[in-house]
Amino acid sequence: MDDFISLERIVKVYPPNVLAVDNVSVGFHKGEIHSIVGENGAGKSTLMKLLYGLVPFDSGTVKINGAAVHFRKPGDAIAMGIGMVHQEIELISQYTVWENVVLGAEPVRGLGGTLDTKRAIELVRRKIDEFQFNLDPSAQVERISVAARQKVEILKLLYRNVSVLILDEPTAVLTPQEIPQLFAELKRLRDKGTTILFISHRLDEVLELSDRITVMRKGKKIATVAASETDKEALAQMMVGRQVIFTSKRTPHQRGERVFEAKGLSVTRRDGLKLLDNVSFSVHAGEIVGIAGVEGNGQFELVNSVMGLAAPSSGSLTVNGTEIIKLPILERRKLISFVPQDRGKMGASLPASILDNAIMTHHRLEPRFSAWRGLVLNYRNARAFTDTLAQRFSVQMASRQSPFRSLSGGNQQKLILGRELLLSTPFFLMDQPTRGLDVGSIEYVHGEILSMRGADRAVLVISADLEELFLIADRILVMHRGQIVADLAAEQTTIEEVGRYMLEGKRTA
Amino acid sequence: MNIIVGLITGMIAGATPILLAALGGTLTFYAGIFNIAMEGMMLMAAFFAVLGSFLFHSWLVGLLFAVAGAMILALIFIFFSVTLNTDEFVTGIALNLFALGSTTYLLRQIFKVKGVFTSKLIDSIPNIHIPLIEKIPLLGPVVSGRNLIVYLAVIATIFCYYLVFKTRFGLRLRAAGYNSNSLDSSGVRTSRMQIQSLLLCAVFCGLAGAFLSLGYVTLFAENMTAGRGWISLAAIILVDGHPYGIALISLLFGFFDGLGLFLQSYGVSSQFTSMVPYIATLGALYVYARRNRERERKAL
Repeated sequence: MDDFISLERIVKVYPPNVLAVDNVSVGFHKGEIHSIVGENGAGKSTLMKLLYGLVPFDSGTVKINGAAVHFRKPGDAIAMGIGMVHQEIELISQYTVWENVVLGAEPVRGLGGTLDTKRAIELVRRKIDEFQFNLDPSAQVERISVAARQKVEILKLLYRNVSVLILDEPTAVLTPQEIPQLFAELKRLRDKGTTILFISHRLDEVLELSDRITVMRKGKKIATVAASETDKEALAQMMVGRQVIFTSKRTPHQRGERVFEAKGLSVTRRDGLKLLDNVSFSVHAGEIVGIAGVEGNGQFELVNSVMGLAAPSSGSLTVNGTEIIKLPILERRKLISFVPQDRGKMGASLPASILDNAIMTHHRLEPRFSAWRGLVLNYRNARAFTDTLAQRFSVQMASRQSPFRSLSGGNQQKLILGRELLLSTPFFLMDQPTRGLDVGSIEYVHGEILSMRGADRAVLVISADLEELFLIADRILVMHRGQIVADLAAEQTTIEEVGRYMLEGKRTA
Repeated sequence: MNIIVGLITGMIAGATPILLAALGGTLTFYAGIFNIAMEGMMLMAAFFAVLGSFLFHSWLVGLLFAVAGAMILALIFIFFSVTLNTDEFVTGIALNLFALGSTTYLLRQIFKVKGVFTSKLIDSIPNIHIPLIEKIPLLGPVVSGRNLIVYLAVIATIFCYYLVFKTRFGLRLRAAGYNSNSLDSSGVRTSRMQIQSLLLCAVFCGLAGAFLSLGYVTLFAENMTAGRGWISLAAIILVDGHPYGIALISLLFGFFDGLGLFLQSYGVSSQFTSMVPYIATLGALYVYARRNRERERKAL
């Protein structure tokens, strides 16, 4: 099969000297799902943005059907039938689905540019039917799910008659249940002749979805392989450049005293719905307890109750025997280390410097960071601490004073993790600790979690990723509709069993 | 009977400049610009209206001058705020101060007077008498015989509503304010929408200013807008920019404006009566805030 789109010897340098794309040549067939995989910073997103005309490249050629093209802005690419859906969904939430879809290419009637509402809705409905998208054109975008919004973004491009769809990590914002549906829709699009370029670092997804896979590492193309002729281990090795072990490194470890205990914890919403329903469990020293469950089954409320972000309606929470329900947050932080789900919002302040982020919480709890009776910070100690932290947890940073947002996702998470680990607390709460991280970083984080267990700290990990829980947890609790419906020893259960509890609650037992 | 008619016509006259300025401002509001320059645009327009009408003895030229005067400020606004990306609030303050200073300066330089300029040579904008309706008791004297700009303001209200909510332009305009990234990625440049909205705003503020100096009265006085541009901003924010809501708020303000003048004729001191519209604005703000809080509580 001939290449429909071919990228030839593409080079992109980000000034001053970052070689983001290094002499990459790759071809895409018409009507295939072609995944581009690589770690964060491998250049896969940059490569696609070059193709889309969003980022100018320094040398090389882009050919469509054998003819060289040059896109200076995304509009040029769309005109040639290439559309891209970005990771962040950019829709107007105040508008309806159809208004979002037609925006910029609206059907009008009359001289004054009056919107032809009827025809617009009809056109959008026809596209929805054609691709079996199951959307209501008149629904308000702010009221539909994230998955549906993503479909609107895709629809917006299909409305513009795009035949090549570039999707930048579309599954990152989806719940595990929504992903198979997206994949089914993408496969249907492919069968209708659309070419799909799929950027991802989730290898299982890539293997399931794609026809062919191109692996990138550090700006270079490593290989293009057929999905049917490779496996997860081989891909991971190409991505990372060394062997990655997907089996658990967990060794037997004797658990100690009970550290954390929740008793009868409930959170009731105003309308009487129990978001958290009489939850009781405990975590012991030297033990990793994992909480599995479909998102939105009470995990959020549990985290908020433990961290003091929202008060539970009833119940008790103790750490080392101390009741924490009434404690102010700073007092809790003396007992609990916390890695939140959302790095950019709760875990760190993106515009603040790396140093500021590194000493957060520490600066309140440890006298060595303050001088003049707490009026000013002791920057000498803060600098030393930041350097130690960066070194100990191998955070790659340009300078201590760079904004936190300049770090890659993996480095951000390492810094937060390190900061929390260096608090001397008995209990550690982690909410989706590896979300959005690449294979190498995930392996690192898992190693750190396991070494905490070795140091006899009590660890509670909430994760939507079942494989992750099986790699690190000693016990797996399953949450369903605000209740804990199963308490299983990791050795004596299977992913399938936990999955059933997640979906069906107690009745399976 | 005459008192009622007097109050209503006073209300309409008071409401017209605020309504027009607010309609202009609401277009920029929807485009996502924090535009506070209506005050300056109106003042500039009021001055140039008098200048044009005085020089050419024609209200129509005066009207064109007024729009051109407001347009000068809009172009400066566009250059700084859209092209150079300066802060909109700071730009707006600068323009309002510039309008006040420059009109005062030009008044003294061109007309050699301080405070107020008036002349027999200034042609004012005519009142329109509608045959037949004129004869209807009570309704006639209210609906007919108003200034041309008043009728234009009514048309402008409906025009704005249609433009914002029913046209392609409106869909893109609001998109610029709601989420400019989304609009840009849809192939429409947000800055273009913002520029167009500012130019339209200048046209509306031009009409408002011309009404002040060639309709309401036939003279130019230093700082004669007297905060009406700010009231129009308040009106926009109070009703989230909806043109019909703006009309309502403007009428309310116009009513208290007229009431102030009316009370004055009953011997209430003018310092107090000129406070009435502003107190009414604070009152409206309070009611609005209460209503909003109630709504939020219900939503929870």
